[in-house]
Amino acid sequence: MATVTDLNISEVKLSEEYVGKWGMFINQDVCTGCQACVAACSMENNIAFVGPEDAGYGRTMNWIRIERFWDGEYPEIKMTSRQPMMCQQCGHAPCEPVCPAFATVHSQAQQLNLQVYNRCVGTRYCANNCPYQVRSFNWRDYKRPEPLPNQFNPDVTVRQRGVMEKCTFCIQRIHQAEDKARSEGREVADGEFTTACAQVCPADAITFGRVDNPESLVSQLTKQYEGLKHLPELGTLSNVSYFKGG
Amino acid sequence: MAEKNKSQAAHAHDDQHTQEHFREKHLMLDPLPRGQMNDMVMEAMTSKPTWKYWLTVIILGSIVLYGLGYSWYRLIVEGLGIAGVNRPSYWGIFLVNTVFWIGISHAGTFISAILRVFKAEFRRPFTRIAELMTTFGLVQAGFSIFMHMGRAWLSYWLMPYPNERLLWPNFHSPLSWDLLAITTYLLSSTMYLFLPLIPDLAMARDKSTGWRKTFYRILAIGFRGTEGEWTHLRHAMNIFAYAIIPVMFSVHTIVSWDFAAATRPGWNSTIYGPYFIIGALHSGMGAAAVVLAVVRGTMKNMTYFIRGEHFDAIGKLMLIISMGWAYFYFNDYIVQWYGGDKWTKALLHFHEAGPLGWMWLSMLIVNIAIPWAVLWNSKWRSNPWIISIVGILINVGMWFERYLIVPVSLSINRMPFTWRLYIPAVEVYLSLGTLALFILFYVIASKLIPFIPVWEVQEGQLAHKLSKFGRETVVTVSELE
Amino acid sequence: MTETVNLLAVFPDLEPASDAVEQLRTLGVTDDHMNVISGVPVTEPMLGRPHAWTNVPRIALGGAVLGMSGAFFLIFIVPYLYPYPIQVGPQAYVPGPPSFVILFEITMLGTLLSTFLGVWLESFFPNYRRLPYVPEISDGKIVVFFTCPEASQDKFTKTMTALGAEKVTIAEARQL
Repeated sequence: MATVTDLNISEVKLSEEYVGKWGMFINQDVCTGCQACVAACSMENNIAFVGPEDAGYGRTMNWIRIERFWDGEYPEIKMTSRQPMMCQQCGHAPCEPVCPAFATVHSQAQQLNLQVYNRCVGTRYCANNCPYQVRSFNWRDYKRPEPLPNQFNPDVTVRQRGVMEKCTFCIQRIHQAEDKARSEGREVADGEFTTACAQVCPADAITFGRVDNPESLVSQLTKQYEGLKHLPELGTLSNVSYFKGG
Repeated sequence: MAEKNKSQAAHAHDDQHTQEHFREKHLMLDPLPRGQMNDMVMEAMTSKPTWKYWLTVIILGSIVLYGLGYSWYRLIVEGLGIAGVNRPSYWGIFLVNTVFWIGISHAGTFISAILRVFKAEFRRPFTRIAELMTTFGLVQAGFSIFMHMGRAWLSYWLMPYPNERLLWPNFHSPLSWDLLAITTYLLSSTMYLFLPLIPDLAMARDKSTGWRKTFYRILAIGFRGTEGEWTHLRHAMNIFAYAIIPVMFSVHTIVSWDFAAATRPGWNSTIYGPYFIIGALHSGMGAAAVVLAVVRGTMKNMTYFIRGEHFDAIGKLMLIISMGWAYFYFNDYIVQWYGGDKWTKALLHFHEAGPLGWMWLSMLIVNIAIPWAVLWNSKWRSNPWIISIVGILINVGMWFERYLIVPVSLSINRMPFTWRLYIPAVEVYLSLGTLALFILFYVIASKLIPFIPVWEVQEGQLAHKLSKFGRETVVTVSELE
Repeated sequence: MTETVNLLAVFPDLEPASDAVEQLRTLGVTDDHMNVISGVPVTEPMLGRPHAWTNVPRIALGGAVLGMSGAFFLIFIVPYLYPYPIQVGPQAYVPGPPSFVILFEITMLGTLLSTFLGVWLESFFPNYRRLPYVPEISDGKIVVFFTCPEASQDKFTKTMTALGAEKVTIAEARQL
């Protein structure tokens, strides 16, 4: 009689044991929905200003968004906790294989989903295939109202119309920190740097760090709160954990 | 004695009557001298265009100029923002049209390859008209894909060649397969259109003067009809007829994989491949009936070549395909419904009871109810008017079906915060532009390409005979090929 | 060999044309010196002619092999040409099922392109030189084109006319 151990389940085990490199823990209970992370992310990553009309039509380009939900019918509604949503940096990302131009690929070194803007031709297949709907597309050449053009981040590319973009976990900050650590001959310390959204969050709802290091704050918090992944049934092996107490 | 004579005379009269009946009904039993058929086809092609023809060209041309020319220019200069695509409906009518036009293109191959392989004799007069549909439809599909791309001017990056950093395209992506499959299909269907056309171009060359003579001399590439030339041509057409069938199936299956391979509720279905193929044939056969009816009604001498029997045969195919489509649709539906996944349930509810529920309902009516109600009757099937109205309705229904699959299904995903309706904008003009260009191609081709493969018709007429089995007269076909 | 002349006999139908082919053979014209031109595909057995050789299927097979090699290159070589392997999602560098799709499409492309090319190569298309031809062929006439000794031109002409030829003339190369 065949037993479970006779079956070749090594591949399945491997996916369950997957640990990424960088990850986040988000405590929805303390999120106030102040949108500071959204603003900080836009400043840090030179995100275009789409204006109210396009934003109202579902063309917001924020790499992080605060999702609001409520229970019941108006006026008897009860707000539930806010849900910050950004690229989950999946280990097995559905967006990657579907790009015909290799514009979104997996970084072996950082275990992140890279988006190569200058390789993108704008088929938007990746955005369709993203179960978290966190990719944003440059629908137009958006003009930045004054004085926004004066505060571009020189470390981040400004994207052209017609390309896809998404949260990178502030990869420019990761590289800066790694370069600095390497020049000083040491490892990057936990909490030495963080992403723009985590940095500005007044309630500390967002924690960023190494998920492959059990000592890091993000690993500790994930363990303590028993953080859950979004849509784990899809096998995307995302690197962002959420906690929602109620 | 007298009685016997009488009965013989009655028999002879009966025979003549039967023959007349068959001649009237079947093109293959109503042979005309080859020269006369040539003249009829040439007259249909070279007769001086009427003012109605020029008016059609001008109207279609203006729609093409505005819809495809100006609107596409705006799309490139201003960006996809002027279209209705948004999050989460990243794909809009562009992809609806791509699937639609590839679907239309399938009927051409179906008629000219599958019916050729199975020696369905009714195909003979309209194989060319159907093959043109393949090539013309694929051009529209290609346009629709390029329009939809964010940076259409870089679309050549998807060709399989290494770029300056030695990076090749990603062959993991269904879109890369799509590119290969559509390129293969476009090239092979164009070649398959050209091969049986060579003898007719040679005919046109022999029968024309002036600029047409030069034009057809160049196109006929020196074909004379020697034994060797016919042998090479026959072998090549045979290889094409068999080899293009799997290519045709692969194209729409791969198009379906663009959807089925994605991790989305509603799309992620294993039956999408065959379901898309039957859907393609559904709209394609409908379109073929419409095109045939228009060609018959507007071009000279076509009532001889295209008769009720042809509409009857196409109508039968339409009925069977409609049943097949209903079967596959129900198959897909019941499995999705039974699965009970909450997102899929939300999607099905959105299809049926959402703001576009009328579209879902009318899709079922025009794709299933109307063909079933009309096409069972051979008298109605044989009527060009009735069958082309059913054909148009089926095409509207199949377009609705693709609209439900692409932007409507995209509206619902696993992140309810992003649910949003898609409202088409400039896509409408672009769609009308592709439709007008498709018709315009036909209108122009009708003056340049012999629409009837005369040699194939003559070959069929040589092969058909009336034979008597006892008292009954029946049609027999000998296999010449 | 004496001086020869190329003649063409125009027949209204298949029967007399096939009789003519047989008659020519008894008169000493070999099959290599005959050719039949027709406006519908007339097969060799109908005329009692030897089977015409065609390389189109072989050329098609060659194209299929070429296409398949191209596909193998794209599937197995290309992913390893990069200085570092490119990972997309959970898929292997050489993904199994997608490779079959590429293999199929490019093989078919090779097959069909070479079949088409085969017709051009085998029939020497495109050919805009002057060739012996009569335009009546398009109207369903069957032309038997043959080479005979110049001395017996009259005899051949008579034989062909007796068999039902509408016209027997010296085959002149003309602009098609």
